[in-house]
Amino acid sequence: MTINLVMAATVGVLYGTGFTLLLSRSLMRVLIGVVVLGHGTNLLLQLAGGPPGRAPILGAVAPEEFTDALPQALALTAIVITFALTTFLLALGYRSFVLVGHDEVQDDVEDRRISRQKTPSAGLDDGDGDGDGEATP
Amino acid sequence: MTAPEDKPFEEWDRPRQGWMLSGDCRGHRQRTLLLEMTTRALFPTVLVFSLYLLLVGHYGPGGGFAAGLVAGLAFVLRYIAGGSDAAVRLRPPVLIGLGLTVALLTALAPTVVGAPVLATTKLALDVPLIGHVETQTSVFLDVGVYLLIVGVVLDLLRSLGAGIERDMREAGETPS
Amino acid sequence: MLALIAAHLVVAGLLPLVSARSTRAAFGVAAVLPAAALLWALAGAGPALAGGIDETTAWSPALGLELSFRLDALALAMIVLVSGIGAVILAYCIGYFRPAAPEATRSAAWLLAFAGAMLGLVLADDLLTLYVFWEITSIASFLLVGQGGERKEERRAAVQALFVTVFGGLAMLLGFVLLGEAAGTYRISEILADPPRGGAVTAALLLILLGAFTKSAQLPFHPWLPAAMVAPTPVSAYLHAASMVKAGVYLVARLSPAFADLAVWTVPVLVAGVATMLVGGWRALSATDLKRLLAFGTVSQLGFLMVLFGAGGRVAAMAGIAMLLAHGMFKATLFLIVGAVDHATGTRDVRELSGVGRALPGLAVAAALAAASMAGLPPLIGFVGKEAAFEAFLHGSVENWAVAAGLLLGSVLTVAYSARFLWGAFARKPGRDATSAHGLGPALTVPIWLCAVAGPVLGIATPIVDAEASSYAAALPGDPGYHLALWHGFGLPLLFSAVAVAGGLALHAARDRLAPAAGLSPLDAQRAYEKTLSGIARLAVGVTGRLQVGSLPSYLSTIMVMFVLLPGVAAVLAGAWPTSAPLYHDLIQVPLAIVVVISALAVTRTRRRFTAVLLVGVIGYGVGGLFIVDGAPDLALAQFLVETLSLVAFVFVLRRLPPHFTETRPSRRVRVPKAMLGAVAGFAVAVFALVLSAARSEPATTSAELARLTPEAGATNVISAILVDFRALDTVGEIGVLFVAAAGVASLVLATRYDRQRRAVPAEDGEGPPRQEEDVLG
Repeated sequence: MTINLVMAATVGVLYGTGFTLLLSRSLMRVLIGVVVLGHGTNLLLQLAGGPPGRAPILGAVAPEEFTDALPQALALTAIVITFALTTFLLALGYRSFVLVGHDEVQDDVEDRRISRQKTPSAGLDDGDGDGDGEATP
Repeated sequence: MTAPEDKPFEEWDRPRQGWMLSGDCRGHRQRTLLLEMTTRALFPTVLVFSLYLLLVGHYGPGGGFAAGLVAGLAFVLRYIAGGSDAAVRLRPPVLIGLGLTVALLTALAPTVVGAPVLATTKLALDVPLIGHVETQTSVFLDVGVYLLIVGVVLDLLRSLGAGIERDMREAGETPS
Repeated sequence: MLALIAAHLVVAGLLPLVSARSTRAAFGVAAVLPAAALLWALAGAGPALAGGIDETTAWSPALGLELSFRLDALALAMIVLVSGIGAVILAYCIGYFRPAAPEATRSAAWLLAFAGAMLGLVLADDLLTLYVFWEITSIASFLLVGQGGERKEERRAAVQALFVTVFGGLAMLLGFVLLGEAAGTYRISEILADPPRGGAVTAALLLILLGAFTKSAQLPFHPWLPAAMVAPTPVSAYLHAASMVKAGVYLVARLSPAFADLAVWTVPVLVAGVATMLVGGWRALSATDLKRLLAFGTVSQLGFLMVLFGAGGRVAAMAGIAMLLAHGMFKATLFLIVGAVDHATGTRDVRELSGVGRALPGLAVAAALAAASMAGLPPLIGFVGKEAAFEAFLHGSVENWAVAAGLLLGSVLTVAYSARFLWGAFARKPGRDATSAHGLGPALTVPIWLCAVAGPVLGIATPIVDAEASSYAAALPGDPGYHLALWHGFGLPLLFSAVAVAGGLALHAARDRLAPAAGLSPLDAQRAYEKTLSGIARLAVGVTGRLQVGSLPSYLSTIMVMFVLLPGVAAVLAGAWPTSAPLYHDLIQVPLAIVVVISALAVTRTRRRFTAVLLVGVIGYGVGGLFIVDGAPDLALAQFLVETLSLVAFVFVLRRLPPHFTETRPSRRVRVPKAMLGAVAGFAVAVFALVLSAARSEPATTSAELARLTPEAGATNVISAILVDFRALDTVGEIGVLFVAAAGVASLVLATRYDRQRRAVPAEDGEGPPRQEEDVLG
């Protein structure tokens, strides 16, 4: 047993918060959701290594008292990647704000149009788009 | 370097960077003298500390990534104190490219002697004045990471910092 | 063998360099390699017929992948068609294409690449190798039929050919995998030596037959072949008469010795083959375009070949080899003649051509030779093949007699459309002036004669063909004393041949009454193909419309619901529940956890952006604190630094965004389910964490191992040793991600001002990109 109840609950709350924010329409909230999810994931990764121990640095203590180093290294990489993703999403949200005046995720109008459509808009075999799906013999 | 006698004495300690000149600063409302002076003292110190973190990484907490972030934060401090005028002369993309190149060369260099990619070996040198120095070739990978991270932070200052500021000026909004 | 195939492909890749100077020279260069391949194969004919020449190149031994090739009797027969006719047709191209025509440049390279792929296909002794070459030929066919894609019928025919053959090809791949797994090997020679049996093999054989039928244009997949006649005539002659369409027949011939005793193999082949032979022959009687007439003839003959090879008898297989060679020769000749007639008169419509035989007597003689071979007249190779075919089925069971009757009817039709071809191309039609025709140069006529004399030469040299055919058919059951020969004495086969010729000529005499009837056909496979395509397109629209609703929250909800339902339920049902989980390991974890949890809950409630960002910062620092407690100072250091920097980046952007979230506050009806879903998914993650960590029975061994290795990396910090040494590749990838992200941020932010400027001043449009680039690069 490596994870205690308090930590499991903390990870659960972080994930729940992240998921909830991810479902909202504001890009900034989505971004914050991603960051919170990142925190939850890094914590989970670290916790998977086992209960608290001493820092894995040789010399000071015996290696038996170390915490597992591998999850730590993976979590360190994950932190960096989360940072890169955060800045990129920030820039994306900013650009969306500059271009359309708000930072909301809107439904894809084209997809809505497709879902209302009954027949394909162009035949598969004629590239000029004049057909209505019924190939002319 | 001009001799001090060539200048009037009150010019001796005049800072070379324009952003620290009192007559050259931004609007007085945006200026915090305390932050500027602290930055002036902290900036080189933090950079030296980041170099320490870079080299100590093999033996304790630190490493290229943390060191690069610390150095980057020093530049962030300078940007906050001095505004976008306080940018360094080096182009951030060049720094990023440099870091990537160093890292990739370190990764590929072992193949020249027939070792697998990213293999490391011990490097022992007798440096005059300092004496015997032992290090690992993997320190060059850390240096690459360090340079790249500093470049990335500087690039963020250029785009998210100065870029957005310029957008605001052009849109007629005042930076708050 | 591999070198020879690779040489084809390499030279094909370099050929555009030659074409740029002279397309005639390009075809000349291209013809050399197939000719060399033919000579190589003929030089190795002795050992090939005696047992076969093997060549294997290991590619990835660990995965059991190898490139194995084998030259045996069947491969040799195919190489005569692929490389021999290929060389002749490439030489013909020199005279056929106008110099510097765009289709000439394209065709030269692709025809040679096709020749290489086809050579690989017939030599391959490995199912997967065969599949790869099989699909390359499909792609070459697509590109050669489609050409520039400027005309609608070119595009349509090319796409149809690709769809049908690749559909079959994929089915065949599935069959190959099933067969290979059942046999335990993908080597064809090993599968033939010890054929597997069982339910999986039955499915495999049906799938493989699907591939063979689509490639060889068997009923009901045949319409792509007549449609592909929009291609230049040499392409039709080579791909769609002599070689590529034979690939399906070849595959059946290759596998028949192992599987011809199974009804699942012989029944579909015989039924489809006979039906194809009859339908193709019948449709050929109404065609007015000479190329279409020949294409339906090819469909018919492919059906005939399928029957011969699929039946699994020794005599039938020998007849198959003879007919395979005969058909390649006479059909290539006839296509090349159509090309020449087209070249000389400008048309290939039987209703317009008249009196060409008088204008081009040499061509008419060559055509007569080829058509006679097609009709099965002595002393040509076609006659030898047809005699043997009748002989093979005129014995034994009722089924055999039924097949023989089908073949007789098919032969009658063959004679009829052979006569129709000669009449249509060369006869003088009453009430029509002679079509004006200019003379033809030797560049066109010499290749035609080369192919045309092959009919009588092979007919007289039947013993050579017999040696070849006997070697292939040796493994099959049947009368071992039978040999291919021009004269077997009077008997039923000769009677059948005579009936076929007489009946065919009678049909041709009645052509004016027959042609309209032949044009009618109640079941049109082309219509079926089009209906299928539009049905698939409609289905795709329906599925897309339902699945792709265009709303990000609904996609994410779907993913989360699935996450909770599938792995979540599995964890609860199958996972080992922790027996005694401690509440906490370290007392400091509790207050830190409380801070993190409260901040997280507050983030979902706040309406101000800045507050939300600050709360995220608190979460980050709290998690960093938990890292310290856990004994991970490196992690904590990175977490604190990254959190600070993220906060700065957030503040930079928040300077321009409105202080509150601008989205219209969703109604309770939307908000509550979203929060519920998030909460349930979060709970599922917590359950996962507990169940999975309870599954761990031993302490991690990696830690001790890594600690032991760290001094060798010249470090005392294990984390650092992992990052820059043990898993250094991860670090290199990670900085790559950072680099890409920084470049993306710079592009996104610094580009915005140009978007605005461009909207304001449309005249500046063209100057945008360079300045923007300069800005992004610093």
